[in-house]
Amino acid sequence: MKKKIDYMKILAFVFCVILALVWIAPLTQSLSTSLKSEKEIKMSGFSYFPAEITFDSYKDLFSTKSASTPILKWFWNSLVTSSLFTVLVLIISSTSAFAYARMKFKGRDLLFSILMATMVFPSVINLIPTYKIVAGMHLLNTKWALVLPGVSGAFNIFLIKQFMMGIPKELDEAAKIDGASWFQIYLRIIVPLCAPVLIVVGMFAFTGSWNDFLWPTLVMSNVDKMTITPGMQILKGTYDVYPSHAMAGGIVSVIPTFVLFLFAQKYFIKGMQLQSAVKG
Amino acid sequence: MGKAIKAGAKKKKTEITPYLFIAPQIILFIVFFLVPACMGIYAAFTRWNILSNELPTFVGLDNFKEIFLNTESTYYKFFRAGFKNTVTFVLLSVPFCIVLPLLMALAINKKPWGHKFFQSLFYMPTVLSISTVILIWYYMFNKNLGLINNLFHLKVNWVGAQPYAWFAIVIVTIWWTIGQNLVIYLAALNGVSQDLLEAAEVDGAGPARKFFNIMIPSIRNQLAYTFVLTTVAQFNIYGQPLMLTGGGPNNSTNVLLMVIRDLAFPSYGGNSISGLASAMALVMGSLMIVIALLQYRFIGERE
Repeated sequence: MKKKIDYMKILAFVFCVILALVWIAPLTQSLSTSLKSEKEIKMSGFSYFPAEITFDSYKDLFSTKSASTPILKWFWNSLVTSSLFTVLVLIISSTSAFAYARMKFKGRDLLFSILMATMVFPSVINLIPTYKIVAGMHLLNTKWALVLPGVSGAFNIFLIKQFMMGIPKELDEAAKIDGASWFQIYLRIIVPLCAPVLIVVGMFAFTGSWNDFLWPTLVMSNVDKMTITPGMQILKGTYDVYPSHAMAGGIVSVIPTFVLFLFAQKYFIKGMQLQSAVKG
Repeated sequence: MGKAIKAGAKKKKTEITPYLFIAPQIILFIVFFLVPACMGIYAAFTRWNILSNELPTFVGLDNFKEIFLNTESTYYKFFRAGFKNTVTFVLLSVPFCIVLPLLMALAINKKPWGHKFFQSLFYMPTVLSISTVILIWYYMFNKNLGLINNLFHLKVNWVGAQPYAWFAIVIVTIWWTIGQNLVIYLAALNGVSQDLLEAAEVDGAGPARKFFNIMIPSIRNQLAYTFVLTTVAQFNIYGQPLMLTGGGPNNSTNVLLMVIRDLAFPSYGGNSISGLASAMALVMGSLMIVIALLQYRFIGERE
């Protein structure tokens, strides 16, 4: 009996190792290619490792020579946009969730049901008119065009509200007796207690904004104001026959979300499971 | 008297405060969701160039007649091809995106050596952007310099010939997205009753029977959720064909969202045909809602 279980375990391990190789290969291959010189690739073709490690492609990409692919500017734009987006999402959805979870007011349940019902609405229908609205507000080619349309998402409110409902109501009442206002209760008591769910929402907001692809290509026509995710499409076109440069750009673009994932993978995975648990 | 005023003031304050808390979200929600949603539905029944300042002209069902019935029209052909390509992708990719992560979850659930690492590794690509993923994989699929052709001594033109172009798009999609379903299944398998499994084992049930008779029914909710979520997500396919195949070869991977985008936002100037594009978007969106509802119902009924 015991032997049989071990046998399945070994099979599982082999299966995982084979898949792990498939998962790692694109990353190691692009890293290795980015460290080759273009000359080496042209002369000797395919190889797993660089004959000689060089950072020339990175230097070229970061230098002013690459005016059509200003990758450092894109990186900075993305960092500003995604950070702003994350902060706004956290403020807007936590204040809103606070009211739905902890306060009584007329129309509360109706409003909340309407919000929840809109979650199934396919975004493809909104795409074209949202452009018109953003253009009408003269926000094209500004970071607000990237930030504002997504910040009011209903699902974040739902997640945070669920969490807030689990906090004992007595805390609010005790604070009220001590003379605290609703805003003080929100800021001093509820927000600190909600840190776990706020971290999850914040991380998904940041990576979601960083990885946004179609929308920025519509509202950001100015190359210098572009973010890095649509920038990769330009980079791919520009360095089509210079793989080392293209891969170096790719490596640079994954750094923030990759690092975030390394340090906070627990939250990402918990967040995913949380979403399936509440929706499933 | 003073007390009464105070009480009145307090009552008024508590009444308005909740609305102040929800106001920022509600305002943004109206401006950037409710208004565009209504505009999007209305626009499907209009002729509209959004790159001009003209207002949309109401044309009734003309747009729908054009894309469904006017076999002479190029838009009819665009829509038909885009629709067919999107559905092809959904049918090709969804089974893999359900079955493969389920197998992986079963393997990881056996807790082999390094299982925590495997879980993280398989999930990791989901935090990357589609454009970076394609940039990296485009090179993997390169005919002369790519790892795949060199490793297996092939000369396949992955992105420029069918059926390889679909293979490439599906492979990239699997690599990029299945980590999500994997972690959902892992959590679900964790919740399967160990007592039931042990009882089945005592009764002489093999791994296959345990899987189909105990595990699958226990994780039915999560399977339904991922099935709906994956199908809806795959309908939105855009970045993979755009950057990997450019919609080719012969427009065979030119998916519906690419068609809609090109009509509404023509890349080389020209008129924006946003009314028609909105009609296509409305058809696509409605279909997504119907499929989601049908799947929930179908899976719910089998209970």
